[in-house]
Amino acid sequence: MINQGRKYVEAPRWAALGIVVIMVVFAYNVIGTAIAARKTTGIITVLMIDLVPLMLLYLIAFPAITNMSAELFWWWWLVQLWVEATWEVLIGCIMALALMQLLGTSRRIVEAWLYIEVALVLGTGILGLGHHYFWIGTPGYWLTIGGFFSALEPLPLLGMVVHAVYDAGAQHMKTTNRPALYWMMAEAFGNFIGAGVWGFMITLPQVNLYAHGTQWTVSHGHFAFWGAYACGIISVLYLVLQRVRNLAVVEGQLWKWSFAALNLGLVGMTGALLVSGFVQAFVERAIGGSTLSAFISAQENAWFVDGMVTRFLLAIVFTAGYVVLVWDVLTLGRRVPAVAAVSAAE
Amino acid sequence: MNALATLETGLLLGLYALLAGIWGVLWAVAQLRPTPIVARSAVAAYGLHAVAALAIVLWTPLGLGWKCLIVGSSLVFLALPPMTWRFLQHTHRDGVSQDDRKSSQHTARVEARL
Repeated sequence: MINQGRKYVEAPRWAALGIVVIMVVFAYNVIGTAIAARKTTGIITVLMIDLVPLMLLYLIAFPAITNMSAELFWWWWLVQLWVEATWEVLIGCIMALALMQLLGTSRRIVEAWLYIEVALVLGTGILGLGHHYFWIGTPGYWLTIGGFFSALEPLPLLGMVVHAVYDAGAQHMKTTNRPALYWMMAEAFGNFIGAGVWGFMITLPQVNLYAHGTQWTVSHGHFAFWGAYACGIISVLYLVLQRVRNLAVVEGQLWKWSFAALNLGLVGMTGALLVSGFVQAFVERAIGGSTLSAFISAQENAWFVDGMVTRFLLAIVFTAGYVVLVWDVLTLGRRVPAVAAVSAAE
Repeated sequence: MNALATLETGLLLGLYALLAGIWGVLWAVAQLRPTPIVARSAVAAYGLHAVAALAIVLWTPLGLGWKCLIVGSSLVFLALPPMTWRFLQHTHRDGVSQDDRKSSQHTARVEARL
């Protein structure tokens, strides 16, 4: 009832079934709408194609495989491919629609970039899966494949950062929805730093041998997820609220506080986890040889403990930012004077 | 790889990627605000990135293939911001297509409020 006993796929069976149902309903809505409209666009076509592997890859959450290597081999298809391939494309489609809404970017432009993103995901994200096959009993060639394609991943992320600066300059940071724009910018930079910089530290096999499974990888995971998904979702949330609540302009002070606290808390937490991870890789793995006593030595190391305590303190900052964000989202239309929809007035 | 080399290599790889990002951002900002200080800062960032790449090649125990990958990536990092920028200018030059609808963010009334 509580969980399935598999890390990262902890959702209990009933919740996993619920996730499948939600994905099927979502796919039905998207595909059904396209069929009813008798028209599709590049973004919707990519989205519809992406929804198929999005549903199928999650099914790996259900079978119980007793061979540990085989179990981990397929399990990473869910943890990595589901996230870094199908969800990357899904968030790419959503951000493409958001860019059209937020900045008035031409459909032709966002579709061109979406196709580039799909090509890069197929080129680096899928075979980048290999960096999870390093130490689970798979053949040695995965060290080369995984290391090589993962090392290429910062390249498209840098292009994304340059694109963000271009958009910011073209718009002079002027928009009717500044929270959405700022969170979209945070996504580009967070993705580069979390996935690109933090990931590049540990992606080559020689370093990964000591770093995998430590707080170092936890730090990378937190930062990359924040940059790749969380910031984008918050951006879209503000865009949707603007439309649903008929707000001509979204402004205020609360979103700035939540933006600052959430990002400060996240950067602080990942920095603290990084320090703890260094201690584990150094004391427990490299010096101690991954023995139980080395594990205990690392856990008792003052730097490790300080890192974890600092992480907790900054988690409080992060939580405060989250509370402010929720409050802002719930009360947005009530505090900011709502006016008639601009499109209606035009 | 010894214990200290693990940390040194990991940190150098992170620094290498971070400096590439700083180079890209500063280069892009220099296109928006063409002041000498920003342009020089961008060049300095890439110079530091190249120093980090050199340190990885000379001082870390990574294999030859990985070191070649680092050098190759540095060359791509150098070319990537100008290439991306030119492509962005090219795609934005032709204006809107007939499939576009006017965004509620960019009506005359909203732009007047801004």
